[in-house]
Amino acid sequence: MFYWVYDLPTWQFGLLTTVSFVLLYWVGVIFVRPFLRLFVRSTPGLNDVVGYILSCFCVFYGLLLGLIAVTAYQNSAQTEATVTREAAALSALYEDVGGYPQPHAQNLRWLLRDYTRHTIRYAWPLQRRGITPVEGGIRVAAFEEALHRFEPQTPGQQVLHAESLRMFNNFLEHRRMRLLAVTTGIPPVMWFVVAIGAFINLAMVWLFDMRFTAHLFLGGLLAAYLGAMIFLIAAMDNPFRGEVSIPPTAFESLFAKMVDE
Amino acid sequence: MSAPAPQPVPRPDSISLDSASLGPTLSGSNRGDRPASLNRRDWLCRAARGMAPLLFSGCGLGLPKKSQYIKVGLLHSQTGPLGQSESALRDAELFALEEINARGGLLGRLIEPVAPDTRSRSEDLYPKRARKLLVEDQVPVVFGGYSAASRRAMLPLFEDQSRLLVFPAQTEGNAASPNLICGGALPNQQVLPALDWLLGSQGGNPSRLVFLGSDGLYSRTTHHIATKYLATRQRKFAAEFFIPLQGTDWAPVLDAVAEQSAQTAVLSTLAGNSNGEFYQQLRERGLNRSGGPTVLGLRLGEDELRLLPPDAIRGQLAGATYFQSLATPDNQRFVSRFKQEFGYDRVTSDAMESAYSLVHLWALAVAKAGALNLDAVRQALRDVSFAGPGGEWRIDPATQHTTKTFHLGRAGGDRQFEIIHSSAGPIPPDVFPQFAFPGWKCDLTAGGVTRGEPVDLNVPGNTPAPSAAGAHTPAPPSPSAK
Repeated sequence: MFYWVYDLPTWQFGLLTTVSFVLLYWVGVIFVRPFLRLFVRSTPGLNDVVGYILSCFCVFYGLLLGLIAVTAYQNSAQTEATVTREAAALSALYEDVGGYPQPHAQNLRWLLRDYTRHTIRYAWPLQRRGITPVEGGIRVAAFEEALHRFEPQTPGQQVLHAESLRMFNNFLEHRRMRLLAVTTGIPPVMWFVVAIGAFINLAMVWLFDMRFTAHLFLGGLLAAYLGAMIFLIAAMDNPFRGEVSIPPTAFESLFAKMVDE
Repeated sequence: MSAPAPQPVPRPDSISLDSASLGPTLSGSNRGDRPASLNRRDWLCRAARGMAPLLFSGCGLGLPKKSQYIKVGLLHSQTGPLGQSESALRDAELFALEEINARGGLLGRLIEPVAPDTRSRSEDLYPKRARKLLVEDQVPVVFGGYSAASRRAMLPLFEDQSRLLVFPAQTEGNAASPNLICGGALPNQQVLPALDWLLGSQGGNPSRLVFLGSDGLYSRTTHHIATKYLATRQRKFAAEFFIPLQGTDWAPVLDAVAEQSAQTAVLSTLAGNSNGEFYQQLRERGLNRSGGPTVLGLRLGEDELRLLPPDAIRGQLAGATYFQSLATPDNQRFVSRFKQEFGYDRVTSDAMESAYSLVHLWALAVAKAGALNLDAVRQALRDVSFAGPGGEWRIDPATQHTTKTFHLGRAGGDRQFEIIHSSAGPIPPDVFPQFAFPGWKCDLTAGGVTRGEPVDLNVPGNTPAPSAAGAHTPAPPSPSAK
């Protein structure tokens, strides 16, 4: 629903989130204060009560945010590791098929190079838009077809072919994991709880009885930091989306080597 | 809804935020005696106005527009027997699209290629994938096809949907449609000049001619045209073979070729992997050496050579309208850029040059028309030209084919062709050579295709049979053609 935020530059995404929270808080202060004045103004100890409840709430909410932030980071790190492993398997496969007799070696290497280029140029931009790329699979199928066409003639070639097939399966596994990670992210229900928690957090600060400017300023600071925290989680969530996402660096360095040989 | 005009607010000399000046307002106890300076509402209003551009500029700049991309279809077989040949066309088309995108795209939008795999299945998967591109992806144009059968299977969909099919590979002629642009050589631009050369002094004027082709519409039509052409020169083929795309027994072919091999020339329209198999078989029978038959491949490009050992192909001939070895500055720049992008050992071929140039030509037409619809692009195509690697590209409005220069190349050990003969100049397209299709004419600017006598393409060496039972008539005219 809110995936469009990943199309914004990071600074705009961060600013938008932070400012939205501050504005929400300010609007709340402006609308809530008159009612508060009517019902609870000058209730002795109001701020203390709100303060105690807010402290308890912040413990639970802080834990939730912290755990979610860690999960988002771990997810991003795992996906990055998957990408690196896929590129490493691809590199090893490229080396392996280089040992085949000609013209098989050259043909197989062309096909792997084609896959790598496609991944960088076409698959990655699609992943950034949250779309699982499918055309890379066609390149994989073309390579697989060519690999299976090769019939080893010597024991050495048999060993090499077996190793290539093993590495190819390894590569396929990591590729599949990368594709699955394109749509991975924090479940909507969890975002719902985060949003409710943020709202309650701000609403509690609305209940404090203090001077208007101080209310705006101090609560605004809290809202800004809350917005920044949620921006951080959102930016790390969906590991392939937005500017804070996994780059195709591993494939780019491999491709640079492939075309420069 | 337009925002209310801002009311002039008397600007105070200074705004003090100390508690003394804000106190009465914040306390809310004395609303009636607000000072003339900024009140709370004004202050918030100004703050909101100040923040709004930050927020909304973010949204405006970053949000993806629905029409940010123009989807374009690239429909080729990337696996199967034709995968090797056709994926090279896909790469050439991608290369051209990337160049266009690097210059800012088309009509202010970037081009997004959609390139499904048709798995060398011309009859069923080509139309299926084409339908998806046209209906679901709503592409205005598809660059695709390789075999005549794939083109024939797809074309009715494009006519039905009023979209453009751009076909980069060689065509056998005998078809024209307002929805079809053909960039490959017609038989009169490739097969007939090749025959002329073979039958001339340079080609040795062999006494035996053997025709060898992949079994399909292209080879059968081409063979029909070549046979009729030979008849005008009082010659005929000694033997002919149509080979299935996957798996065949080459023995009868090799036996026919081996007979008086020094005096035999093979005119080959084999496609895809069959080329590799045939040249390998020739080598294994020792027929690729000096004194063996002359083999002239008409669907043999640099990209087909990549699965062949150099000694299997060295010395063999190929007829085309482009070779990578063409020594022109435009071509050398093209080859250099392509290698830089796709790898040091990649090669460019006739069909690739066609695919690349057609994408640029279409983009020029769209830019000129300022629109993507078929009629506007067709109209604009009459006025644009593109300096392609192999020469200038311009679409003949009457046939929507192109003018081409014929080259004959001899394969060297480096998997490249040395150009040993070129036609005197560009050859205009002739979709219906009159000696092969009497009475048939094509002018898409004035009525479309004019039917002539029915022609039976299924019987090699046939003569025009005006009312032959089961005659296969040439291409069904498009809805606008008569």
